[in-house]
Amino acid sequence: MKALVAVKRVVDYNVKVRVKADGTDVDVANVKMSMNPFDEIAVEEAVRLKEAGKVSEIVVVSLGVKQCEETLRTALAMGADRAILVETDAELQPLAVAKLLKAIADKEQPQLLIVGKQAIDDDANQTGQMVSALLGWAQGTFASKVDVAAETVDVTREVDGGLETVKLRLPAVVTTDLRLNEPRYVKLPNIMAAKKKPLDKTTPAELGVDVAPRLKTLKVAEPAKRSAGIKVANAAELVAKLKNEAKVL
Amino acid sequence: MLAPQQLAELGRLLAADRVATDTDTLTRYGLDWTRYFTPDAAAVLFPKTVEEVVALVRWAQREQFALVPSGGRTGLSGGAVARNGELVVSFERMNAILELDKVGRTVRCQAGVITKTLQEYALANGLYYPVDFASSGSSQIGGNIATNAGGIKVVRYGMTREWVVGLKVVTGEGEVLELNHGLAKNNTGYDFRHLFIGSEGTLGFIVEATLRLARPPAELAVMVLAVPQLADIMNIFNAYRDKLDLTAFEFFSEQALRHVLARGTVQRPFDEAADYYVLLEFEKIAPDTETQALALFEYCAEQGWLVDGVLSQSQQQAAELWRLREDISESITPYKPYKNDIAVVVSKVPAFVAQLDEILAREYPQFEVVWFGHIGDGNLHINVLKPEALAIDDFRRACEQVNKHVFELVRDFNGSMSAEHGVGLLKHDYLDVSRSHAEIRLMKAVKSLFDPDGIMNPGKLV
Ligand SMILES: Cc1cc2nc3c(=O)[nH]c(=O)nc-3n(C[C@H](O)[C@H](O)[C@H](O)COP(=O)(O)OP(=O)(O)OC[C@H]3O[C@@H](n4cnc5c(N)ncnc54)[C@H](O)[C@@H]3O)c2cc1C
Ligand SMILES: Cc1cc2nc3c(=O)[nH]c(=O)nc-3n(C[C@H](O)[C@H](O)[C@H](O)COP(=O)(O)OP(=O)(O)OC[C@H]3O[C@@H](n4cnc5c(N)ncnc54)[C@H](O)[C@@H]3O)c2cc1C
Repeated sequence: MKALVAVKRVVDYNVKVRVKADGTDVDVANVKMSMNPFDEIAVEEAVRLKEAGKVSEIVVVSLGVKQCEETLRTALAMGADRAILVETDAELQPLAVAKLLKAIADKEQPQLLIVGKQAIDDDANQTGQMVSALLGWAQGTFASKVDVAAETVDVTREVDGGLETVKLRLPAVVTTDLRLNEPRYVKLPNIMAAKKKPLDKTTPAELGVDVAPRLKTLKVAEPAKRSAGIKVANAAELVAKLKNEAKVL
Repeated sequence: MLAPQQLAELGRLLAADRVATDTDTLTRYGLDWTRYFTPDAAAVLFPKTVEEVVALVRWAQREQFALVPSGGRTGLSGGAVARNGELVVSFERMNAILELDKVGRTVRCQAGVITKTLQEYALANGLYYPVDFASSGSSQIGGNIATNAGGIKVVRYGMTREWVVGLKVVTGEGEVLELNHGLAKNNTGYDFRHLFIGSEGTLGFIVEATLRLARPPAELAVMVLAVPQLADIMNIFNAYRDKLDLTAFEFFSEQALRHVLARGTVQRPFDEAADYYVLLEFEKIAPDTETQALALFEYCAEQGWLVDGVLSQSQQQAAELWRLREDISESITPYKPYKNDIAVVVSKVPAFVAQLDEILAREYPQFEVVWFGHIGDGNLHINVLKPEALAIDDFRRACEQVNKHVFELVRDFNGSMSAEHGVGLLKHDYLDVSRSHAEIRLMKAVKSLFDPDGIMNPGKLV
C-alpha cells in the first residue's frame, strides 16, 4: 500500500512572529522555517505504518518555493522513500493546494493521503477536507488513532467532548491531530541517507493546475496587548474593581 | 535575634511591609537551592533603592548585625543561606532595567533583574545576553555576578565576568562605589569590579550592573550523540571544535538521562541506550555548516567514538533536545544530591576522568552517581544521590569522606573544586584544595578592607 504525505514549510513554531509595518502580512524575512508540526505527525504516522508492514512506500510532497526541498529532506530522513516538490513562488491558498494534491494523487494513486489537520501559519484547516472532496475519497479528520486494514482504515477522531471512530473505505484522506503520535528525532545517518533518496520536481503548470489566489487578505494585525495586572489590597477592593472598572459583576 | 527596638528601626529604614519576620518568609528566604542547612534568619529585608541598601549597611555596621545578600536563591553552595540569625537582604524589589545603550551594546540594570528577563529584553532589542543555564528563569543578575555564573554557553561566550563592564556596589562600610562605568578600556589601576565578580556577597552588595550584549546568534542547531566510552567524548570535542564554532558542548550519562525521562515530558533520543551522550550546539553561520557537521559525524563514527546521533530539524526540536540536558539538575533534586562541581584544564579531562571514574566506583559502590556537565569547559558535575533510607547527615558525612579522595585528585591536577557554583558554606572547608594558603590569607585581607566588621555574609567563601 502506498501512502502519500503532504508537508508544508512554515515559520518555526518557536519563532515569535511580527506583523509587517504596513499590515499586509507577517514578516517572515530571515525567520527560521521548519516543517509544519502536524505534517511531522503525518510523516511519523506513515513511517510507523511502514514499520508495521502496513504501508510499502511513502511518498512525500511539498508545494512552494525551492527551499521546501529542506522540508522534504527532513521527511525523507524521518523515513519517507521519495519526494516530490511542486515548485512555485506563487502564494498558495487552500483550494489551490487541494487541487495540486489531487493532481499528485491522480498520478501516484496512493491508498492513503495523510495531511496535517492544519498548518500553523494560516490555520486554515481546509486542505484535507477539500482534497477529499475533489478526489471523491472518504475523509477521517483530526485523527488521534489510525488503524489500517486491507480495504479500510479506522480513524479515531478528536471531536468536541470525546472521541469518535469512523471506518473509511480506502483510498482515503486522513488529517492528523496533535495526539496521534510523537514524531521521532531525525538520526544523522538517516539525514545522510536522505540526501541520496529521489526528489522529483514538477510545477503547477505541468500538473495543469491554476493556482491564482481567490482570497484577498484585507489586513493583518497583532493581537491586542494584554495590560499589566495590578495588586489589590483586599477582597473588598477586588469586588469594587470588578464592579466599577471591569463591570463584570 | 532582633530586639523589638531594632525591628522598629529597620521598619523605619525601609517600610514596615518590606521587613518580613513571618516563619514562611524566614524559611523560604533563609535558603538557597541547597538542602543541607536549617534556615534561621532574623528577618528578610526588601530594599528598593541604593540609598536604602546604604542605610541598611550602616545600621548593620553600627549594630554589628550580619547580612546575607540574597538573589534568586538558586545558588548551589549555600552562599545565600542564613542559618545564624542573620538579616537576609533580598534584591527582589530592585528589578528595574534602567538603560539600554544600543550603540555601545550595553544595558544597565538593578541587581534583582531575573536573568531570563534580561535575556528576553536584549533579544527584543535585537541583541543577546549569552550567559544561560537551567535556573535562569529564577536567578538574578546580582547573584550571577556574585557567583560569576557560567552555564551552557561558556565554550563560546565565557563566564559572567566577560560580560560585566560596570558595577555599582555598596561596601561593608556602606560606601557606594561606581566601578568601571561601562567602559571597554580603563587601565587606571586595580579593577575592583573583578574582585566583586565571584565575591559571593562577602565584600558588599552589588546593586547595579552594566552588562555587555552581543549580536544574537544565527540559527542554532542541536546534535545529540550516543557515545559508548567516556574517554572518547574529548576526541569528539576536538574534532568538532577544529571545524565548527560550537556554542555549547555538554555531556551526560545514561543514568542522568533516565532521571529526565522518568518525568515523562521528553522522549528518548535513540532507541538504544548508550552509556554517555554529548549535546553539542552550533551556529548555522554558512550554508554548508550543516554539511560540515554531518561530515564530522561520519568521521567520528568511523573512529568508533560514537554510535548514533540526532540533529534538530526545528527550533522546537532543538529546545526539546536541550531539555535532555537542562532538566537533569531538577529531575534529581528529590534525591538530595551531593553535588561535585569540578574542573580541570580541557587537555587533562581524559586522564582526570579515568582516575575519577576509578575512585567513584571504588568509594561509592553503594550510591548512585550521576555524571553530567559542561565538559567542553573541562567542567564535570558529579552528583551522588542520597539513598532513600539513609539520613541526610549520614549521607553528607559519607560523601565528605569520599570527597577527600576526589579532592586529592583535583589538587593533583591543579583543578578547581568548584568550577561554577562557588564556595559558599558547602565548600568552605575545602578552599585550600584550589587556593594556596598565601592566597587565602590575601583573600581575607581583601575582605577586611571592604568589610572591616565582617558583617557581609560571614562564614561563606573565606
Ligand atoms: C537547576 C540549576 C542549574 C544550574 N546551572 C548552573 C550552571 O550551569 N552554571 C552556573 O554557574 N550555575 C548554575 N546554577 C547555580 C546558580 O543558578 C547560579 O550560581 C546563579 O548565578 C545564582 O544566582 P542567584 O540569583 O540565584 O543567587 P543566590 O543563590 O541568591 O546567591 C548566590 C550568591 O550570591 C550572593 N548574592 C546574591 N545577590 C547578590 C547581590 N545583589 N550582591 C551581592 N551578593 C549577592 C549571595 O549572597 C550568594 O552568596 C544552577 C542552579 C540550578 C538550581
Ligand atoms: C609605538 C608604541 C605603540 C604602542 N601602542 C600601544 C597600544 O596600541 N596599546 C597599548 O596598550 N599600549 C601601547 N603602547 C604602550 C606599551 O608598549 C605597552 O603598554 C606595553 O604593554 C608595555 O610593555 P613593556 O614590556 O615595554 O613594559 P615597560 O614599559 O617596561 O613597563 C610598563 C610597566 O609595567 C611594569 N612591568 C614591566 N615588566 C613587569 C613585570 N615582569 N612584572 C611586573 N611589572 C612589570 C613596569 O614597572 C611599568 O610600570 C605602545 C608603545 C609604543 C612605544
